[in-house]
Amino acid sequence: MDRREVLAERPVEKGRGFMPGVSVNPSRVLFTAGLTGRDAAGNLVAGGMAPQAQRTFERLQAILERAGARFDDVVKQLVYVTDLDAYNAVGRAERAKVFGPTRAASTGLVVRRLADPAMLIEVEMVVDLQGAPQGKPLLEKFNAENHPGDFYQGVIVNGGRLLYLAGQVANNPDGSVAGVGDWKRQAEKVYENIGHILKAAGATPGSAVKETTWVLDIESWRRNAPPVRRAFYNGDYPASTLVEIPGLARPEFLVEIEVIAAVA
Amino acid sequence: MPFSTIATPEAKPVANYKMATRMEGGRLLYISGQVAWDAGGNLVGKGDVRAQARQAFENLRGVLQAAGGDVQNLMKITTYITAIENFPAVAEARTAVFSGELPASTLIVVKALFHPDFLIEVEGVAAV
Repeated sequence: MDRREVLAERPVEKGRGFMPGVSVNPSRVLFTAGLTGRDAAGNLVAGGMAPQAQRTFERLQAILERAGARFDDVVKQLVYVTDLDAYNAVGRAERAKVFGPTRAASTGLVVRRLADPAMLIEVEMVVDLQGAPQGKPLLEKFNAENHPGDFYQGVIVNGGRLLYLAGQVANNPDGSVAGVGDWKRQAEKVYENIGHILKAAGATPGSAVKETTWVLDIESWRRNAPPVRRAFYNGDYPASTLVEIPGLARPEFLVEIEVIAAVA
Repeated sequence: MPFSTIATPEAKPVANYKMATRMEGGRLLYISGQVAWDAGGNLVGKGDVRAQARQAFENLRGVLQAAGGDVQNLMKITTYITAIENFPAVAEARTAVFSGELPASTLIVVKALFHPDFLIEVEGVAAV
């Protein structure tokens, strides 16, 4: 636990609630899934951005507490919104309430759609944890609440080495695109590529800590990809985020998946 | 560098970047999404993606330098743009900053960034 805030400070960043950079000695790190404004029954809370944001941070707090952390320990946050005006009007204030004076590194994106079309905000975090990793399993995957999804809400990395994969797309080794217009084939190819890279790094699908899936159409992804994804992870899921965006690097790409993993 | 590069013939990058990097030591640095703000907090290059990309990548370098590193310490970058048509100009500015191979990389076209004038945002993770 040795947090350093990196001050390449610009006047405009003051008072905006985030730091340009935050570094830590990565002895124990928590990655959360993207959390949203769902209630205990899994339904989106009513009332729009403010209640959704409040509920999102309440759920994140439960995950942090489960790992023995507080919002002060957050290193990085990624905020996805579908309505920027609503976020600026009322969402940002909900974020400020939980963080107080602490500032994490931050990225904010306006995306086309989240898991539910009415969802206005999703937030994920990387958190520096106290305590030594010795004697603990490399990965501790946990849920702070019951949910039906194929993912864990939090994954703690105890020591080991973090592995950052480039965003994976459905490309063949010769550079051609596999499964043009075919969601299932692209899902298969992307996970095949992820599998090859994990293997080359001495890791397995179960080594995945966090997964971010960027798709051009969430409904098409849901109709085609879940069996492929389930077969790949075989129950040993990472924390994950699913986001719909308008484009990827090539028009043929329907999906891109980023994975962070850890090896001993 | 306190990280190593992972490569495999079975899954190759589609452009000039690394498929994966593995941290082997040092400190883990998370860098906020950088946009085309100058030191005074003014937007550089309104409507000019080339100028914005240059400034955003220079700002990324600035944070790395403030942490005692430079672009070669980056393990992973994610570049967000608001229109795919802007990708060639962004790629050119990015190549100028990195000179050699990029780190592990992701490019995403988002609906918008946190101000309507922003055309590019780039974030990174580094080992310093």
